[in-house]
Amino acid sequence: MSSSNTLLERRYAALGLMLIAPTVLVFCAVIIYPLVSAIYLSFFNIFTPTLEGEWVGLSNYTELLQTGQFWSALGNTLIWTVGTLSLQIIFGIAMALVLHQNIWFRSLARSLILFPYFISTVVAVLVWKWLFNDLYGIMNHLLISAGIIDFPMDFLGTMPNAMVSVILVGAWKYFPFVVIAVLARLQSIPDALYEAAKIDGAGPIARFFDVTLPQLREVLVVIILLRAIWDFKEFDLIFLLTGGGPINDTQTLPLLVYQEAFALNDMGRASAYAVVMMAIMLVFMIVYIRRTRSEEGS
Amino acid sequence: MTKRSILANSISRRTALQGLTATTALAAMPIRARAQSNATIRWWSPQASPAQVAAYEFQIAQFQALHPEITVVFETTSDEGYAPQLAAAFSSGEVPDIVTHLPSFAVQSYYANGLIEPFNDVIEAIGADDYFPGANDVFQAADGNYCGTGIGNSAANMMWLRKDLMEQAGIESAPTTWDEMRTAVTAMQTGGLYGAPLPYGANSMTSLIFIGFIHQAGGQVFSPDLEVAIDNEGTRNALEFYREMREFCPPGATNYSWGESLTAFVSGATATGIYTGRVLANVRDQNPSIADHITCVTYPRMSEDIAPWTFNDFPSVFIPAQSQQKDAAKLFAAFLFDPEGYIQQLHAAPGHVLPVLQSINNSPLYQDNDIIQKYAPEVELMAASAAGGYNLGYESADHASNEKAGEIIGSNVISELVQRVVLNGDNVDEALGAASATIEGIMQG
Amino acid sequence: MAHLRKILFNLMAWSIVLAVAFPLFWMLVTSVKPQFELFRRPPTILPETWTFEHYWTLLADTNFLVYFRNSVILSSATTLLVVAVATLGAYSLVRFKYRGRESLAFLVLFTYLLPSVVLIIPLYLLLVQLGVSNTIFSLVIAYTTFALPYALWLLRSFMAGIPEDLESAALCDGATRMGAFRDIILPQLLPGIISTALFTFILSWNEYLYALVLVNSDSSRPLTTGVMNMLISSFNIEWSLLMAASVMMSVPLIIVFAFLQSYLTRGFGAGGVKG
Repeated sequence: MSSSNTLLERRYAALGLMLIAPTVLVFCAVIIYPLVSAIYLSFFNIFTPTLEGEWVGLSNYTELLQTGQFWSALGNTLIWTVGTLSLQIIFGIAMALVLHQNIWFRSLARSLILFPYFISTVVAVLVWKWLFNDLYGIMNHLLISAGIIDFPMDFLGTMPNAMVSVILVGAWKYFPFVVIAVLARLQSIPDALYEAAKIDGAGPIARFFDVTLPQLREVLVVIILLRAIWDFKEFDLIFLLTGGGPINDTQTLPLLVYQEAFALNDMGRASAYAVVMMAIMLVFMIVYIRRTRSEEGS
Repeated sequence: MTKRSILANSISRRTALQGLTATTALAAMPIRARAQSNATIRWWSPQASPAQVAAYEFQIAQFQALHPEITVVFETTSDEGYAPQLAAAFSSGEVPDIVTHLPSFAVQSYYANGLIEPFNDVIEAIGADDYFPGANDVFQAADGNYCGTGIGNSAANMMWLRKDLMEQAGIESAPTTWDEMRTAVTAMQTGGLYGAPLPYGANSMTSLIFIGFIHQAGGQVFSPDLEVAIDNEGTRNALEFYREMREFCPPGATNYSWGESLTAFVSGATATGIYTGRVLANVRDQNPSIADHITCVTYPRMSEDIAPWTFNDFPSVFIPAQSQQKDAAKLFAAFLFDPEGYIQQLHAAPGHVLPVLQSINNSPLYQDNDIIQKYAPEVELMAASAAGGYNLGYESADHASNEKAGEIIGSNVISELVQRVVLNGDNVDEALGAASATIEGIMQG
Repeated sequence: MAHLRKILFNLMAWSIVLAVAFPLFWMLVTSVKPQFELFRRPPTILPETWTFEHYWTLLADTNFLVYFRNSVILSSATTLLVVAVATLGAYSLVRFKYRGRESLAFLVLFTYLLPSVVLIIPLYLLLVQLGVSNTIFSLVIAYTTFALPYALWLLRSFMAGIPEDLESAALCDGATRMGAFRDIILPQLLPGIISTALFTFILSWNEYLYALVLVNSDSSRPLTTGVMNMLISSFNIEWSLLMAASVMMSVPLIIVFAFLQSYLTRGFGAGGVKG
């Protein structure tokens, strides 16, 4: 009996390996190999178009840690990530709560809310650039007619406007993701919990904090880390919206990597930036794994 | 120091890995056929407005009729996109066979790294004597060869003016100095109308245009033997003037690049413009009501004593060294200058790309165009200014060719300087010091 | 009183919804205004002259339809490939025991962290080696780099949410492992698969950077770079054309997702977003 069991287990293990094989193959080909190349390249001083250069050891790393550009890009990345992420989460939860209620045309409202997440970043950027346009944009017109400002505002070209605009557009684009996940979780909270809280005399606000939030906690931990990673890596939105300007005030790490690699043609330095960026994200991930493990344990 | 191709080696050493990917991916997909008997040449250009593409297709059709064994495929790149796209192409060896309309300094930079085929024989085939005198100087590389040739000239920092607005404001003549310009824009700027669409964005236009301002103040970025010399009196004056001009530019000018700046003038939002002759075609198509009121002059200088400095990016033609179809590409490159097709190409944006060949410029066929006739003095002026134009790769006739110009523009160090001083109000000495150091680093890098 | 509160709540909710959707509205409005009306100050809210010429221009005079087709092929192919590979992979990761399983799961998460910018050049060289550079297929391969880790990760959590005893029961009844997978797991996993497919599709449809660098021929360019390249240039910015293009890029997606929206939320509900 026991021997047939182990035989079966072995057969299963083999099948399991077969099933995972395509994944492993694809990972090796399109992710591990480029990744190893990137690390390898970061020890060279390389001219991008030729990919020729010489071994420079760790000097790319020592230089990048000394230059202010890296640190300011890191700072911008953190401001952007924290800013846009908190707006996404707060607004996402609030919207999910509203859409969980029985409002008029709920289905239409849900579709409209999810819409920013579906459209291309390119489209989102184009639309917002047009809304923000200094001469013909509706934003400036509305703000001026409302008497909030007297002159057209420069949304993308000065600080802190540029960073605020980027953060807002990022929040607008990605908060529906939070809405989707939270809404799904809300639907699975048993009504009995609310009934019990009502009987205990809890008002709507108390019910939110005592019942809803604890139930959402698990899903939120995951969403926050998922979105944090995506936002940290975000390139398209910022690149297309401000290109990193004004000066380098919205230049985040991915944009810096791009600039080093393709504008300055320094692939080695770019790879070094990228490797450091990954190291920083690795810290995020370790936090994430610890977090989920400890939750599973408890 | 021996240079070696890093990834090529590492790839060949990873044959096992290659085999893996090859079996998974290639099993399903056909490998792109590489027929040798029928040559296909890929042609890249960032200049691809619909009218231009139509003209290119005409040239391709004509060429293919003459050479049925050659197929030419036109592919669009963009001013922002060509650097990464060419980097990927060069590093993989999968290159376009002919590239047109990139600025001369990009060509010089690629040539210096051995990525480009010498162009001498094509220039001979086109007819070296037919060029305007000195037209190819900017393409002469350090080894004496030509790395490409001009497919046209462009006068990219012409000052465009609205005669009707000048009249209304009581400005009698076009400004030639900064003082006159200040007076003019002050008089013309009213409620919804701004004085000028100067770019203040973190982009290449700001860098390129501001380099013009430095020269219009008598300064320079490099000394003739390519020592970094941006920290000079001219640059300081240019920064000061550029800062003063900020209040005459639309609020969004902090994000302007070529497209926005052009549209601002053409749509009538600004009283002056700064662009090539493309203005003419765009005004005809988009805002014909001002067509009778526009003219252009060379951009004003700090004082009359300083010669005008026209920014010409010298739109180029070159052939990558790794091309598998060099002979066909050279044939086609020379054919691009065949009068009928070349003139059609120039007419696709009259006054924007100006002819480099004297025979074309004097040809009745070239002159026979509504816009070129309607704006004959303007086109004439642009042609003359462009012919005497410069750019960062070639700051003056005395300057050595600067192979790092592309990287300096790409790094945005100069637009950053402008933004720091104008938008942030940073200390000029510090900003200039930082810019000098960065440029120094790029030159050594 | 309760009635009034309800109306107030509805009004408030809908004004937020409309504010969020305002850019959509403005995109639509701009796309049917003639070019000269765009340069009106102050801007007109509703178009004074309605025109569909921009749509016709896009469809008739430009490569828009080619780009559109490319995007559809590209996103569908990526989705199929990624979901197929990831479903098998997730099944293996969740329900089988073998050495290295834990580290594989870790690896999946690690690859999720990789920024695209890092992978571009090595990836491009690889694609050239494979002889597929500058084709739609090359983008499919490139897109798996970010889509596969995410899909695998999502499906893994969905898979974990399916009770194990159903499968065990089938196995006791003599079903093979793959038979049980087909008959028991797949139907249960369907909402998860649809949801994952949707996310993968959105990611591929929206990608910009790889498409910018890896593909340079109009016959294989997707919408994102195609439209940018075609309409934003140093010589012209035609907002009404851009908005018309944006509408046409988005509307098909919005229609599809309006229908599948319940799957999206149901999918999440079934599996829950778990590590």
